[in-house]
Amino acid sequence: MATTSAYDPLAPARRPGGRPDGKPKYRVLVHKRFRNHYDQLVAMVGLQQAQQFWDHVSASPGAPCPVASTRPLKGKAGKPNGPGWSRTVHYEVTGSARIDYQFNDNYSTSADGDRHPVVAILTINFSSH
Amino acid sequence: MLHLDRAYNITHDPTALGHQMSDNIFQTSDLATRRVEFMDAARGGRARVRDKDGTSYVMLPEGRLDLLEELAQWSQALLRLEALLRRGRPKVTELGDLAWLRCFDEADLREFVDDLHVALVAANADGDKRVLDSCLNDWRTTARQLADPLRRSVLLGSHNPDDFEEASEPADGDD
Repeated sequence: MATTSAYDPLAPARRPGGRPDGKPKYRVLVHKRFRNHYDQLVAMVGLQQAQQFWDHVSASPGAPCPVASTRPLKGKAGKPNGPGWSRTVHYEVTGSARIDYQFNDNYSTSADGDRHPVVAILTINFSSH
Repeated sequence: MLHLDRAYNITHDPTALGHQMSDNIFQTSDLATRRVEFMDAARGGRARVRDKDGTSYVMLPEGRLDLLEELAQWSQALLRLEALLRRGRPKVTELGDLAWLRCFDEADLREFVDDLHVALVAANADGDKRVLDSCLNDWRTTARQLADPLRRSVLLGSHNPDDFEEASEPADGDD
């Protein structure tokens, strides 16, 4: 049975708070099970922190973030979820907001589809460790 | 009067932990009269003083003591975990204070053992526990993320494009 994804590879990604400073290199996807968490991100951490996360993952998700702590997840949780995907990065937005993501520099939803870099937000956690 | 005892022989790597072992042994009476030399020795890595009953004491930087204690603690944990893994995946009760590792399967636990081994060797060579702390923080963070069933299912699953959608712009009240 064919399924329909809400993800449109030709639709531009948007930055939390709007008014992007420049065209993002990476499109940003979020796992549907954490969509509600993502929609609460600004309310939970503030617009500036949410924008810093967005700026980081849309420009250089594989690099260390100068304004936030990032670390690799270990074991199977840190391994790529499929071919072309990076290892899992754990981004600490604040002490009580953490996001796990992977990125793919040549992502396509079909064999002959447009290839483009994407970041996939896997989980969002609002509980403090 | 400063009493020097050169009986100590370095039988191990003298550069271990980045410090040269002092071969000076002070007497308790030196603590008042030669405190500058005693403190210089302590700043240099360790200062040894012998009590009247022959017991030897050592003064060393607190950070170095922390490192030694941490290396001892995690070396012991490594040996215990290796022994447990020889019988398969340990039970929670067997893990004891390592029970935070219970969310990991046997393969992940073996990877943790390998990581911990490397981190212990590196921290000892560096004379700095930051590499060990970083290793443990990475694994503890992963354990906490896996503690939630939903996060666990996503993190351990395979990528399916239908599970994802464009990240929408959270409302900030200004747009």
